[in-house]
Amino acid sequence: MSRLQAALEAGEFVVTAEIGPPKGVDVTELLETAELLRHHVDAINVTDQQSSVMTLGSLAVSCLLQERGIESVYQVTCRDRNRIALQSDLLSAHVLGIENILCLTGDYTTLGDHPQAKPVFDLDSVTLLRTVETLQSGQDLASKPLKGSPRFFAGAVVSPGSNPLEPQIAKMEKKVRAGAKYFQTQGVYDTEQFARFMEQVEHLNVPVLVGIILLKSAGMARFMNRNVAGVHVPDHLIEEMADAEDRVKTSIEIAARLIREAKDICQGVHIMSLGWEHHIPTILDAAGV
Amino acid sequence: MIITEQKPLEEILAILEGHEAILLVGCPICATSWATGGELQLAEMKVALEEAGKRCVGLLMPDESTCDLRFTRLKLRRSKEALAQADAVLVLSCGAGVQTVAALVDVPTYPALNSLYLARLQRLTLSDERCRLCGECVLAETGGICPVTLCPKGLANGPCGGYMDGKCEVDKEQDCAWVMIHQRLHELGQGERFQAIREPKDWSKARHPQRIDKRALQPKRKKGGGG
Repeated sequence: MSRLQAALEAGEFVVTAEIGPPKGVDVTELLETAELLRHHVDAINVTDQQSSVMTLGSLAVSCLLQERGIESVYQVTCRDRNRIALQSDLLSAHVLGIENILCLTGDYTTLGDHPQAKPVFDLDSVTLLRTVETLQSGQDLASKPLKGSPRFFAGAVVSPGSNPLEPQIAKMEKKVRAGAKYFQTQGVYDTEQFARFMEQVEHLNVPVLVGIILLKSAGMARFMNRNVAGVHVPDHLIEEMADAEDRVKTSIEIAARLIREAKDICQGVHIMSLGWEHHIPTILDAAGV
Repeated sequence: MIITEQKPLEEILAILEGHEAILLVGCPICATSWATGGELQLAEMKVALEEAGKRCVGLLMPDESTCDLRFTRLKLRRSKEALAQADAVLVLSCGAGVQTVAALVDVPTYPALNSLYLARLQRLTLSDERCRLCGECVLAETGGICPVTLCPKGLANGPCGGYMDGKCEVDKEQDCAWVMIHQRLHELGQGERFQAIREPKDWSKARHPQRIDKRALQPKRKKGGGG
C-alpha cells in the first residue's frame, strides 16, 4: 500500500505537491526539488504535459522518484493516448513500482505548444478510472485475461469553484462510482465557498485534498481570474498581494492561512507551487501541518 | 447539410495551372443553400477564371445533389460538347460531389471548395455543426444535444474542469456541451441519465471508408418455385 493511501486511510492530514517534468532530458533541477520536498510531503504529483505543452513524460519521472524512495502520484491524461496506449502505460507504471495515479481528461490540444497535433480523448477521466478497475480485476478493456494484474491507488480531480457547480459535482459522483479513491482540487482561494462544496460532497465519503496555488503576484491572480477555469481569487487577496512589501512573504502567509482554514474540513492539501517548491516547507510550518 | 467554403482564388488558380478550358459544376442542394456552389457562385467563378485568362466551356448544375451519381452522370452525358472541350473540371460542391464527378469524366477534376461540417442551418448566413457521423448515436441519452460534436474533447461522461461560467475552455464563445446537457436533462425530467456511466465509444463503427449496399443486405429470393 502506498504511503498516500495508508495516510488517508489512517485519517491523517496528507500533503502532496506537484512538479512538472522539463522540456528536455536534464532532470537535475527536478530531482533537486524532489529531494527538497522528500521529508515534507506524502507524495509528489508528476504532471502529464500540463496545459498540453510537450515535456518529458510523467511515467518516466514518476519512476525516477520512486527509485529514489520518493513517493509519486503519476498523472495520466486522456489527451494523447488511446485505450491501447493508456492500458499499456498503466501496466508499465505498475511494474515500475508506481501505485498512486491521478486520472484526468487533460487540457485540449490547441491550448498547448503543439496545437496542430491530433487530439485523442479516446477515454475520458471516468472511463479511465473504470479502466484502472478493469485492469486490477485481471482483465483488459477487451475482456482478455492479464498475466498478473496491477494494483493502484487511483484518484481524480474536481473543481470546487466551477460555475455552474452542479454538473461538476455530478461528474465527481460518477468518478467515485468509477473507482476514484481520493480527489485533488483545482486551486481554492475562498475557503467559505470550499466549505459549502465539502458539505455538498460529504455523502460521497471520499478524501479531498484542497488545491492551493501559490500566488506570485497580483497580476498572476488577475490573470487566473480571467483565464483559469474554476479559479477565483477574491479582491482582498489581490489587494494583499498588490500592497505586499515582500511578495514571497505575503504569498506564503496567504497559502498558510488558506491551509489553516481548510484543514479541518478536508483530508489534505495539494500544493501547486509553480517553481516556488522551495517555499513549501515554510508554508507547511506556518500552516501548522 | 454539408457546409463548405470556397478555397482562396489564388489556390484555385494554382490548382488549375496548365489548364485552359474549364468546365464548372455546382451542386443544387447543400452548396446552393449555403451559397458556395449555386448558380450565382458558378457565374462569379466564371468571371474570376476568365479574368485570370482561362476559358469557361460550361456551367453545369445537376438536377439533384451532385453526389447523386445518377443525376450527375445524366447531366454530364447531356453536356458532351462542353465536356469534350474541357481540359479540367472544377467542382463547387463538397468532397463527395467532387469525387462523384471525378469518377465520371476523363479529365482532371478539382475541388473549388473545402468541406467543413455537417450542420444545422439557422439562417442563410448562420450554420453550426451538429453531427460528427460517429456511427453510434447517443442523443437519446443526452437530451438531444450531441457531446461527440459539441464538446471539443467529445467527452462521454460529463464536463471537464475547463468550463468558465458555462462556456467552453477551448472556445469561450461556445457553451459547454455538458453544462447544456446537464441542464436540458433536468428540464426534461431525465436528470438520472446524466448519472449513467457511458462506456468508451466503439470507434470501429466509425471506420472509414464506409459503404452500405441495401440490396445485398436483403434476404435472397429463392429461385423458381413460387405459385
